[in-house]
Amino acid sequence: MTQSLANHFQGPIPNVFDEVHAFWIAGGSCDGCSIATVGATSPSVENLLNGTIPGAAKVILHHPVLAVNAGEAFIEPFRLAAKGELGAPFVVLCEGSIMDESLAAETGGYWSGLGADEDENGDPQPIPSSSWVTRMSVHAAAVIAVGTCATWGGVPAAANNPTNAASVMDLLGEDYRSILGLPVVNIPGCAPQGDNITETIAAVLLFLNGLAPLPEFDELGRPQWLFDETVHRGCTRAGFYEEGTFAEEHGDKECLVEIGCWGPVVQCNINKRGAINNAGGCMNVGAPCIGCTMPGFPDSFAPFYKTPPGTMVSSNISRVTGTVIRNLREMSMGNLNRTTKWDKDGHVPSGWGHVKEPNLVKKVVKYAYQKMQFSDSPKPGSK
Amino acid sequence: MCFKNLPIAFDDEGNAYLKEGLKDPYEHKVVDLGEEQEVLKGLLERNGFIRNIDYDPVTRVAGALAFHSVVDLEKKKVLSTNSMATLFRGYEVILKGRDPRDAAYISSRACGVCGGVHATTAALAIEMALDIKPPPLGIVMRNILLAIEYLYDHPLHLFLLAGPDYSEELVRETNPELIDKAAETKAKNKDVHGYDTVLDIMKDLNPLKGKLYLEALSMTRVAREAYVLIGGKYPHPQSVVPGGLSVTVTASVLNEVYSRLIKFFDYSQKVTGIWDDVFDFFLESNPEYAKCGIRPATMMDTGVWDRPDHYDASFANCDKWGEARWSTPGVLVDGEVVTTKLTELNAGIEEFVEHSYYEKWDGHRFKEDANGMPLSPNHPWNKETIPKPGKQSWKDRYSWDTAPTWDRMPMEAGAYTRMYMTAKAQKAPASKFLENTGTSMKIKVPKHFLPEKTLEWKIPEHWNAFERNRARAYCIPYSAMVAMENWLLAMDLIKNGETKVSVPYEIPKKGTHIGFGAWGAGRGFLTHHLIVENGVIENYQIITPSTLNAAPRTPWGEMGPYEEAVLNTPILEKFDKPEDYKGIDILRAIRSFDPCMPCTTHIMAKDSDHMVTREVTTCACGVE
Ligand code: SF4
Ligand code: SF4
Repeated sequence: MTQSLANHFQGPIPNVFDEVHAFWIAGGSCDGCSIATVGATSPSVENLLNGTIPGAAKVILHHPVLAVNAGEAFIEPFRLAAKGELGAPFVVLCEGSIMDESLAAETGGYWSGLGADEDENGDPQPIPSSSWVTRMSVHAAAVIAVGTCATWGGVPAAANNPTNAASVMDLLGEDYRSILGLPVVNIPGCAPQGDNITETIAAVLLFLNGLAPLPEFDELGRPQWLFDETVHRGCTRAGFYEEGTFAEEHGDKECLVEIGCWGPVVQCNINKRGAINNAGGCMNVGAPCIGCTMPGFPDSFAPFYKTPPGTMVSSNISRVTGTVIRNLREMSMGNLNRTTKWDKDGHVPSGWGHVKEPNLVKKVVKYAYQKMQFSDSPKPGSK
Repeated sequence: MCFKNLPIAFDDEGNAYLKEGLKDPYEHKVVDLGEEQEVLKGLLERNGFIRNIDYDPVTRVAGALAFHSVVDLEKKKVLSTNSMATLFRGYEVILKGRDPRDAAYISSRACGVCGGVHATTAALAIEMALDIKPPPLGIVMRNILLAIEYLYDHPLHLFLLAGPDYSEELVRETNPELIDKAAETKAKNKDVHGYDTVLDIMKDLNPLKGKLYLEALSMTRVAREAYVLIGGKYPHPQSVVPGGLSVTVTASVLNEVYSRLIKFFDYSQKVTGIWDDVFDFFLESNPEYAKCGIRPATMMDTGVWDRPDHYDASFANCDKWGEARWSTPGVLVDGEVVTTKLTELNAGIEEFVEHSYYEKWDGHRFKEDANGMPLSPNHPWNKETIPKPGKQSWKDRYSWDTAPTWDRMPMEAGAYTRMYMTAKAQKAPASKFLENTGTSMKIKVPKHFLPEKTLEWKIPEHWNAFERNRARAYCIPYSAMVAMENWLLAMDLIKNGETKVSVPYEIPKKGTHIGFGAWGAGRGFLTHHLIVENGVIENYQIITPSTLNAAPRTPWGEMGPYEEAVLNTPILEKFDKPEDYKGIDILRAIRSFDPCMPCTTHIMAKDSDHMVTREVTTCACGVE
């Protein structure tokens, strides 16, 4: 302990790896996860890519939307990595669901392609995205599935889908381990909160350089510190739920459960973290949660914006208990909105409106309340 | 008379009817592309300097786009082009049979780049189908939300996707002769952006390191912060609902949005100044650049931003509320306005799948719209998508994108179409900030740190890659001022106590209800066509901007916009050996459209045995 503490104060920040390559493979995706990543601020993509985070390796990103090169010049490193010949550590970031290419191949085609190989006539034929994931995963330091499509299947895997879409975990199987010994890491969300993505990448990079502990993941491979809690627990409207007051229409300020919020049973941190740079967040602005981070999304939460059946019991219980609690709180609040001087004067000198003086009942309650409050400590000003 | 090719005529009262006496009114020519391929094959075999130039993927575009061209590297000419969408996801199939309430959130996932427009367009389609009229503040807040979306989208494209092609780093590789020239060329707009020479600007366009690149990244975040204050998150806002928005509008929300919006006033001046300097430099250095990506200004747009005193969602009034929008819907053919009516825009649309991985569908359920205007069997309300993945073949099928046309013409779409239409048509409402002159749009940008300035975007003589990008830059002040105007309106509504943002609605359990949503994506034209049958979605079709732009050939052999624009592009890049050729001119031409592939293809299953109706979306986010 003393030794490691001492190390903290001496020498440079360890840097085992200067550079780590990151291959971004988009399968059946909407590019929303890429866009979410670009929105992140803690850290930002430019920090990761410019190597301006001391202790974290510089990320050499191979991403179709941000690349300078196009076509074969862009694909070449993918080919090397798939053969294990890149000569540098790399992670694979997957966005989008994995389509069942065997279905498309039945009629000689593909669902999702990236790059092309020549066929027997020398004509280019697209390479299915999923074949890149399979081949590159063998040599990858980590495979990170980004967004609900890649982590669980998401919207392209919803009922009736024609492509048999599934997740990266489904593709690689439960026995898959990366070079670092990790199963597929899953960062869900449709799209994920951007910092959830960059923070997880940074955590892995800091781990690689021996600076941070191996990040903890839950039984579904989610970063445990991000997805441990329900979004309801961090909701700005949770107090309304507790007091049993509920929005009836879109736009109302109260808890949204009765107009379709699934927050109490959804693991997500957007209300605490905000959507971009701490701003926004679904219920913060007034929009019900439809569970976009969950493996059951979308079918288990449909039809969207209909009261979830599970809330019938709990919201009605809080309606009963909440009514009592709310009234008690309003009484306390009345007291707390007064200064000692105004109590003494028996009058509130506000020009904004007439503030009623407390009646006898309220005075008695306040007296009893304060007795308890200062039962074993001095009341300020009493000595 | 807006239709020249479709069999639709109008009587003296202006009512449309189907031309009589035609055996098959909707027949069209079918051209065999095999011959062209044979000729090309011969050329390729005989001449070493004629080469296949393939980009898979085309990078710095959103989504899965591949592009094939045959280029004569000696004559510096493009001989043939094919545009390919390389992804298919099947959203239309997934939507079929669902509760209409799911449409906004499922279809939103068509594209994560234009994060909120699909949800909005879906909400509009449902509002039309089910007769739901949002309250004024709901409409106004929606306008603000969707204007802010463009404030993120346009800088992202200009500096992160297209911008590197004009940066010192890339130009030094492809056209070193321009570097010295740029060093000697004084920047005309130094007063707003501070750069002395054009080369100074180009250096700061360098990817990842350049100050303008990094500034754009951070400005996209400022816009997105403002966006998520109303939308909850980006992409895929949670708050867009049929009938308005699910947002609690407080003084803080409006203040926090405003504090971010005003940062785009000075930035508008800067961005337009930067791109005017860079593009003028290229066009003056070598007039041949005017041909890069050139094609006629034949384009269409849905219009966007509804007026709270006009919009009632109804089909019956859609020509009126459409023309009242802050951006005017309609069609331009070779730069001339041929219609500004949503009903005519709608009726002229068809989709063809002869060169796409789909089978042709049968049936012609809706022969006319509610006004009696004839609808083709290829119209989205009649279309079914039957995906059939197959081998890529230039003479047969080569894309997951379809070939949409309006009045049998391939159409271009873009943010710039929004401004072009509006400036030309002069139908948009009177405004404190915007003036449409018929040849230009004048945009009065209020003072922030810089003094107030009136920016003017002029309709250009040639429609090329540079003008597309320049116009997109001017769409930043345009969108910012529409947001500002609507923010002022929101304040007025709140002053008058009109604080409702949504109306409740019921899903009718019986009957057929049809509607379409028409709203602009960051890249322009976007429609959702919806049929609700006995309370569930029976058919859902999306046409996105990139569905239009990335289209393969029509059955009669006309090229899609990317294909045409690249074919017309001269090769001005300098290279010694064919191996060194990078194709910057072709890529500039493609990227000027702001391709966005995720929504370009969607499908919807017709029934459980995998019959699929395809929904076309116009951006790259649609291919599943
Ligand atoms: S809005 Fe949703 S998450 Fe927030 S308190 Fe209500 S139920 Fe919980
Ligand atoms: S709150 Fe719900 S809808 Fe919003 S991001 Fe989290 S899981 Fe998705």
